[in-house]
Amino acid sequence: MIKFVNVSKTYLNGVEALKSINLEVNDGEFVAIIGLSGAGKSTLLRSINKMIEITSGQILIDDVDIASIKGKELRMMRRSIGMIFQSFNLVKKMSVFNNVLSGRVAYHPTYKTILGLFPKEDKLLALDSLDAMGILDKAFARADQLSGGQQQRVALARALTQKPKLILADEPVASLDPITTVQVMDDFAKVNKEYGITIITNMHHVDLALKYANRIIGVKDGIVMYDGPANGINDEMLVKIYGRSLKHDEVLGETDA
Amino acid sequence: MRKYTTSSGKVIIKPFNKIWIVLAVLIVLLVIFDQFIYSYQITLSEIGVILKKMFTPDTNDTWGDYFSYIFTLKDPLVLTLQMSFAGSLIGSVLAVPVAFMASSNIMKSKWIYVPVRTLLNLIRTIPAMVLVLIGVYFVGTGVLSGIIGLSLFSFGIMAKMLFEAIETVDMNPYEALESTGANKIQAFKYAVVPQIMPTYVSYLIYIFELNIRASAILGFVGVEGIGKSISDNIPANYDHVGAAVMLLFVLILTIQMLSTHLRGRLQ
Repeated sequence: MIKFVNVSKTYLNGVEALKSINLEVNDGEFVAIIGLSGAGKSTLLRSINKMIEITSGQILIDDVDIASIKGKELRMMRRSIGMIFQSFNLVKKMSVFNNVLSGRVAYHPTYKTILGLFPKEDKLLALDSLDAMGILDKAFARADQLSGGQQQRVALARALTQKPKLILADEPVASLDPITTVQVMDDFAKVNKEYGITIITNMHHVDLALKYANRIIGVKDGIVMYDGPANGINDEMLVKIYGRSLKHDEVLGETDA
Repeated sequence: MRKYTTSSGKVIIKPFNKIWIVLAVLIVLLVIFDQFIYSYQITLSEIGVILKKMFTPDTNDTWGDYFSYIFTLKDPLVLTLQMSFAGSLIGSVLAVPVAFMASSNIMKSKWIYVPVRTLLNLIRTIPAMVLVLIGVYFVGTGVLSGIIGLSLFSFGIMAKMLFEAIETVDMNPYEALESTGANKIQAFKYAVVPQIMPTYVSYLIYIFELNIRASAILGFVGVEGIGKSISDNIPANYDHVGAAVMLLFVLILTIQMLSTHLRGRLQ
């Protein structure tokens, strides 16, 4: 369980990205964070694995205050949290397999990882993750030979290989075309249902968020405007979150893929 | 400067061509340089004499004798290659952790990367010859002193070029690795190393080339190898010097071509 207590973040340039946020996310939930760019979605997400440090308040993961942890403890915490990025963040010149296997490095001492020594279970785990994402046949291709959607699946497989309790996704489909977007979102749904992994994702496309997430958090100017089930979102609420009605690029539209 | 007037009465000025300034400076430098040479009692004609001695057989010798000397250079040549290779390899391996510490995108703190860079700059101001003399001081004029000197020389160059390469990599995978809980060294190994590997190998070949060139002067401080075959024959046997220089020339040219080819394939 993740708990935000009065969490605020002010950047060095004075921008208040988060203003006294209070939230609770239970295990197994699929949460989508929506809002304008610059509303604080990314800051909210990245504060959970301390990729961004908050200014005040508390974030508790399974009742542990993450503010105080650092060094080895922080890395231990991070390895149980997968992270997915808009630009996939794979090593393009490396094989898909090695990219996925790199999700295991935090489980081993530095000298072993430097020598590239991974136990057989890790390698099998990496292959299983690729299989679950339907791209086992691409295991020994170079990452940059894959399409965008496939690359995002490799990133998901890397996250799965960490054996995480939680996956954070920062605009996971923003650089994909509509059809691939739906496929990748289906993969997220699968990871959530079949593996029971909690998913928290930032979404640019509101209709996708409503379709896949069972809970929506609407953020505007660092404040939570809406927190509830997807079916509680109506046009009126969207205007409240976005400060205006939606632009057409904020909905994906019909895709029957 | 030249002024033109067109038929319609418009005036346009052609700007002064800066090439004349460059030429004037060159001529002045040449005159000064000539004075300098003169003051050391070496005239241009004397250079001609030495060159002639270098690239023609000795008075009693034939061209056959001249070229047969090259075959006696096999052992020093192998030594030179071995020293250069070992020096390149050792220096380049040692350069990796230091380049890691000199990269501002990995070491976020100025307190680490600035001192490391300063140290690297210091090492690179020392000529290869002096670095070898340091080796000679510790272990005498053997092959080992050459290896020590060339390792230090290679280390200085590689560390500098490598950290600059590290600073140009895509840091997104590094961020991803940090998010999986990897420490700096692990994230570097899995996100940065695969990106710089081709560059690293190509630098390694380039440094090997530089080392062979540098080893030509190592003979002057007594280190074995092709350089010694050159320095030992000055001034008694300029024909041997010429033959050795030619061999070195061919060797460097071959390695240059090989390295260009290999590096082209790596990219």
